Amino acid sequence: MINIISKTKYAYIFSGILTLLCIASLLVWGLKLGIDFTGGTLMEVQFENNLPNNLEVEENLKNLNLKSLSLQATGNSTILFRYVPEDDKTNQEVLKTLKEKYPQSKELRTDYANSTISKELKSKSLWSIFWAVAGIMVYIAWAFRKVSRPVPSWKYGMGAIIALVHDILITTGVFSILGHFYGIEIGIPFVAALLTILGFSVHDTIVVYDRTRENLLRSSSKETFPEVVNRSLNETLVRSINTSLTVIITLLAIYIFGGESIKYFSLALLIGVTFGTYSSIFIASALLVTSYKLQINHKT
Amino acid sequence: MNVRQKLRLKFGAVIILAILAGLISYPRAVSKIPKLYDFFNKPKINLGLDLQGGIHLEYKADLSQVDLAKQKEAMQAMQDAVERKINAFGVAEPVIYTTKSGDEQRLIVELAGIRDINEAKKRIGEMPFLEFKEEKETAVEKIPEDELNKFNETAKKKAEDVLKKALAGEDFAKLAKENSEDPGSKEKGGEYDFIKKGMFVPEYEAVIFDKGLEDGEIYKELVKTQFGWHIIKRIEVRGEGDPAKSPEGDSGASNQEFKSAHILIAKKVQPEPKIEVTATSLTGKNLKSASVGFQNQGLTEPVIDLEFDEEGTKLFAEITKRNIGKRVAILIDGEIITNPTVNSEIPNGKAQITGSYTTQEANDLVKRLNEGALPVPIGNPINQQSVEASLGKISLEKSLKAGIIGMVLVIIFMLLFYRFLGLVASFSLLIYSALMISIFKLSGFSPWQITLTLPGIAGFVLSIGMAVDANILIFERTKEEIKKGRDILSAIEEGFKRAWTSIRDGNMSSIITAFILIEMGTGFVKGFAVTLIIGVIVSMFTAVVITRTILRFVMGKWLENKLWLIGVRK
Repeated sequence: MINIISKTKYAYIFSGILTLLCIASLLVWGLKLGIDFTGGTLMEVQFENNLPNNLEVEENLKNLNLKSLSLQATGNSTILFRYVPEDDKTNQEVLKTLKEKYPQSKELRTDYANSTISKELKSKSLWSIFWAVAGIMVYIAWAFRKVSRPVPSWKYGMGAIIALVHDILITTGVFSILGHFYGIEIGIPFVAALLTILGFSVHDTIVVYDRTRENLLRSSSKETFPEVVNRSLNETLVRSINTSLTVIITLLAIYIFGGESIKYFSLALLIGVTFGTYSSIFIASALLVTSYKLQINHKT
Repeated sequence: MNVRQKLRLKFGAVIILAILAGLISYPRAVSKIPKLYDFFNKPKINLGLDLQGGIHLEYKADLSQVDLAKQKEAMQAMQDAVERKINAFGVAEPVIYTTKSGDEQRLIVELAGIRDINEAKKRIGEMPFLEFKEEKETAVEKIPEDELNKFNETAKKKAEDVLKKALAGEDFAKLAKENSEDPGSKEKGGEYDFIKKGMFVPEYEAVIFDKGLEDGEIYKELVKTQFGWHIIKRIEVRGEGDPAKSPEGDSGASNQEFKSAHILIAKKVQPEPKIEVTATSLTGKNLKSASVGFQNQGLTEPVIDLEFDEEGTKLFAEITKRNIGKRVAILIDGEIITNPTVNSEIPNGKAQITGSYTTQEANDLVKRLNEGALPVPIGNPINQQSVEASLGKISLEKSLKAGIIGMVLVIIFMLLFYRFLGLVASFSLLIYSALMISIFKLSGFSPWQITLTLPGIAGFVLSIGMAVDANILIFERTKEEIKKGRDILSAIEEGFKRAWTSIRDGNMSSIITAFILIEMGTGFVKGFAVTLIIGVIVSMFTAVVITRTILRFVMGKWLENKLWLIGVRK
């Protein structure tokens, strides 16, 4: 049996530093928000074979005076255009100009949202994350209502939530760094990924807690609480790693082969699932033990 | 029936289910048997816009002119009109619906598999917004008679004073600047440059032409007009002819012009009752049909005949009845097209638009009206997502490839790690995938058709990984029980029993988040969440029912001495 609980200190230090770094990145660089949240236009145009230089294209679009125009070349000789105006007329003018200069250019995708929509999406996203966390917390407290000794059931809920906030912070932090250095934007798909990570991270934590619950109900009185938790962790370790591996395998397949549109969506999931597994093994149960120890110290 | 027979029956049912689901998801397996192939090839997966190309448009309806109580009706009418328009355009299965966001009413139009996205958008944009407006007098507060008279007497006195000064030789321009109440000429010393005869009120022109005034002379009396009292100075008259005396009575024959200056002391009159044009509840939603007609047997310009539906006929009769002698305006896209005076009530539900149309213009307008006239203006879309068909195809191919690769890798992993159990799990994973595809295909026959989107495929692939999780939980538990010394069959039972709470609790949290995702309601998220929920439920079913039945059926005493097959070392 591996004594995982005895390594708690290192896990706390590692996670603490990582979380602080992510918070720092979020505070300093923030997140690069996509048009879903800021409003504006995103247009993907394909150029047959000879992809023109970004500067040249920008020069050609100069007299349209597009506010905050940015170009980004992607695979398959396409360029992503981003700009603030979000009306049909502007888009048509851009396409017309492109067609004149590059007769072979072809509009692949045009998304735009005006500020009403983007504001709405922003508040919807924040609320949905709030409700997901609240819903999960209530569910865990309910599912573990029968376990109250030696640690009360709401502490299981708290432990799962702390682990989950940890996973979410790290994923968001990584995207803040990616946004700063590689211009990767976050939109609605990112929020969907976050919510899925929420579900998955809790799923993992629950499996471990579930085993702890079962072992507590059946354990002999000789075993201490930290020992029971550690035994439960060991018993579920292979399962935790194997499950995460299968999910990570499929996510990697999507990330590598799934194409541009869902690449960063799967990357967010990949980061979240990986840290979700880590936190359910090293953080969530450790928190139970830590709070148990605090409880005992308090009593004596 | 004993336990063994029951199990055999169950196993048979699983096999039949597997074969059916397999055929529905991959009908090409029986392509050699045309009848069977046709039968299983009927259900099709409904692909989302992002996979087959298409456009998602969101319009904000301008309901500022519509009563709160009638907004829902107006939105429904708008939806119907747009639907009619799209159908005329020939798009297969458009999805058109209205949503409410805060106080805003929105119309969402989703057109899948459309070839020319911009053309479709243009067609919707050009839909005419037809409305009828009537005149409405609004009462204006009256000024008491004596107050009015008093004011006007003072004004007249002032005018007389100024006239005296002007006649006494004071500078006319200066007097005008100081006293005139005509904003058009005041600053120019009361002067009007050359103006054609016939443009000014007759009292004014009579002074210039008929009172024997010389150029540069000031008329000796005050001249009263509808505006007030004028002091008039003739400056110059030029040109020949007098329109009043010309044979045609046409002012164009005369080129007589005059230059003059005046000082106006305005009088106050009772304010005129204000006439406002207000919307009626008769709009494009009540239009039954439009057609081109010709007045006077086609000799003159074409007119457009409108025919209303039942409700429209009633409304139009009411409107014409209460507006006899007044004007009723017909507006298209906010512009008055025709504004005739109503002579009598029109009970037959027919109206006519006369305007200076060419036959071509009239035909175009009629076509637009017939293809769907809007009850409220539609404006520009506030949100658009368009995907070109070729991009959709690439996305579909790539994500399918990713899904297949992911599944193969998972199967390899399971076989390596769990050997015989892995084989069983892989088999139920295949059944799981076939079931998922079948559900997608068969949902088309139910009112809850599921649309497969790109994030949906991602959700599906992710759910493969999660489906395996239930199996792993069970297997790990079973292995543990075997190690503890249980025999294989009771170990399996124990494994299922003990793993179930974990599976249930863990999946509940996924379902909670997925439902919240659906509540968020945007296309991307919805497609993902729906597949995730279905995936989680189906995966629980496959793990607990299918894997369990297969395991019970194939495992037995024969494995006791070959425990390495299920990865257990004793």
